[in-house]
Amino acid sequence: MEIPSIPLGQWIEGGLDWLTTEYSGVTRAISRVTQTGIDGLNDALFWLPPWALLLIIVGLCWWVASYRLAIGAALGMALIWNLDLWDPMIETLTLVVIATLVAVVIALPVGIAAALSERLYRTIMPVLDFMQTMPAFVYLIPAIPFFGIGSVSAIFATVIFSMPPAIRFTTLGIRQVPKDLIEAADAYGATRRQKLLKVQLPLSLPTLMAGINQTIMLALSMVVIAAMIGADGLGSEVWRAIQRLRPGDGFEAGIAVVILAMLLDRVTQSLRKGRKS
Amino acid sequence: MIKQPINRRIRFASLAMIAGAGLAAGSAQAQDKGTVNLAYVEWASEVASTNVVRAVLEQAGYEVEITSLSAAAMWQAVASGDADAIVAAWLPTTHEHYLERVSDDVVDLGTNLDGTKLGLVVPAYTDVDSIAELDENADTFDGTITGIDPGAGLMSLTEKVIENYDLEEVDLQSGSGATMTAALDSALDNKEDIVVTSWTPHWMFARWDLKYLEDPKDVYGGAEQIHTIARDGLKEDLPGAYAILDAFEWTPEQMGEVMLGNQAEDAEPYEVAKQWVAENQDVVQEWLSES
Repeated sequence: MEIPSIPLGQWIEGGLDWLTTEYSGVTRAISRVTQTGIDGLNDALFWLPPWALLLIIVGLCWWVASYRLAIGAALGMALIWNLDLWDPMIETLTLVVIATLVAVVIALPVGIAAALSERLYRTIMPVLDFMQTMPAFVYLIPAIPFFGIGSVSAIFATVIFSMPPAIRFTTLGIRQVPKDLIEAADAYGATRRQKLLKVQLPLSLPTLMAGINQTIMLALSMVVIAAMIGADGLGSEVWRAIQRLRPGDGFEAGIAVVILAMLLDRVTQSLRKGRKS
Repeated sequence: MIKQPINRRIRFASLAMIAGAGLAAGSAQAQDKGTVNLAYVEWASEVASTNVVRAVLEQAGYEVEITSLSAAAMWQAVASGDADAIVAAWLPTTHEHYLERVSDDVVDLGTNLDGTKLGLVVPAYTDVDSIAELDENADTFDGTITGIDPGAGLMSLTEKVIENYDLEEVDLQSGSGATMTAALDSALDNKEDIVVTSWTPHWMFARWDLKYLEDPKDVYGGAEQIHTIARDGLKEDLPGAYAILDAFEWTPEQMGEVMLGNQAEDAEPYEVAKQWVAENQDVVQEWLSES
């Protein structure tokens, strides 16, 4: 008795073909808008001379964190500049910033809804598991007909991979608000909306920021994979060096990624703890 | 609180910059001839040819964008029209399964380089000379052939080689082009024996002293060719660029000159290609005369 194997792969390919013919017009339009945003942000950051941007970054670090971080940022950025990786660093920064923005814009309402509705929560948790564990390579190449080659496909893949923590942490933050505070708000006759905006969200802000921080870190871990579909930046420097067997160049670009990651991590951590008075 | 207006000013300035960038991008697209997008894989041979074609198209007045991708993404890009053309299609074997998938959406412009070769490569100091001798010497290289990406045509041919030569003691290890060259590099450093799957043109032959194992049963077959593939519709959209791409054909020797230039420390492939194009105008003019 032979049990035939389920033609899952064929079904998926059929579904993809159908989606391509039906919806690639829509996704292409989204893609063009996104590309304009990416180019704009890139051009704006390229337009600034490196020393000016470096000063802005150092100032920002000082303002939100400490002079120690500002010194570290100055040294790290100067090293990236010195290694001639400034432009790829900007491209990677743009990619991470836009992917994080998109992820947070989607994650906030979804996370809030999941916190308020038990049924929705149970529905989306498996979906989040799927998004976080599905190997990115699987949807990387099929994304090309929808979003083209380059940064937009890379952002699509990055958002899929890095959005789940932002949703989870938002849900967690709102659920962790102490019961007695909610009861107090109810006792004063607060509407659901008031409760959300005045009690639940402000109190869950630190958890929420931790989620955003996780999203940024995961987005950075995607940079090399993103390079395989033509995204620019430090990832493509690494990818190129690896393929040409030039480990030195690979490490240089890798170290630049580490510097960028540490910087973004410390800045978002400081934001989370609240600015020092 | 004092920071508010400054913030707003920065925000306004960046908005203005983005708007300005948008305008600049808009005006840059008003080219007289148009833009050609080429995709390629980061193999030494394709880096050389793609940059040369870029320089030639630029000489003819086109704007050229080149994008480095993985092989699958490159084919997908030319099929979906994201890339106008690729000059990096290894046919009839290596990229056969990609071409099968997308043949309705692309046009094969024929060969741009004849005389590539596939096979098993060993360091020049290795005693083995032929694939037929591999089985009895399997212990010298741990019975492993170091391969490249699973799914590459070179890999399925190598499996056929193991079968046809009855290599009982030999396994094919898959990895990627990068892991294969890294393994080769470390074996050479330690003067060890290693067998890798490889192809010509490849920069490894410029960097190290290597040799192909003889293939008496001719499983790897004759040489492959590198083809130029264009997206469907390029002929109508950019007839001039299409004609140049169609006419582009050169020899392994010419490609070797460019690849050697790219091997130099800190070499910039685009600059090397431009220089080669400048020095070989007689060849280039033949490609341009078609348009």
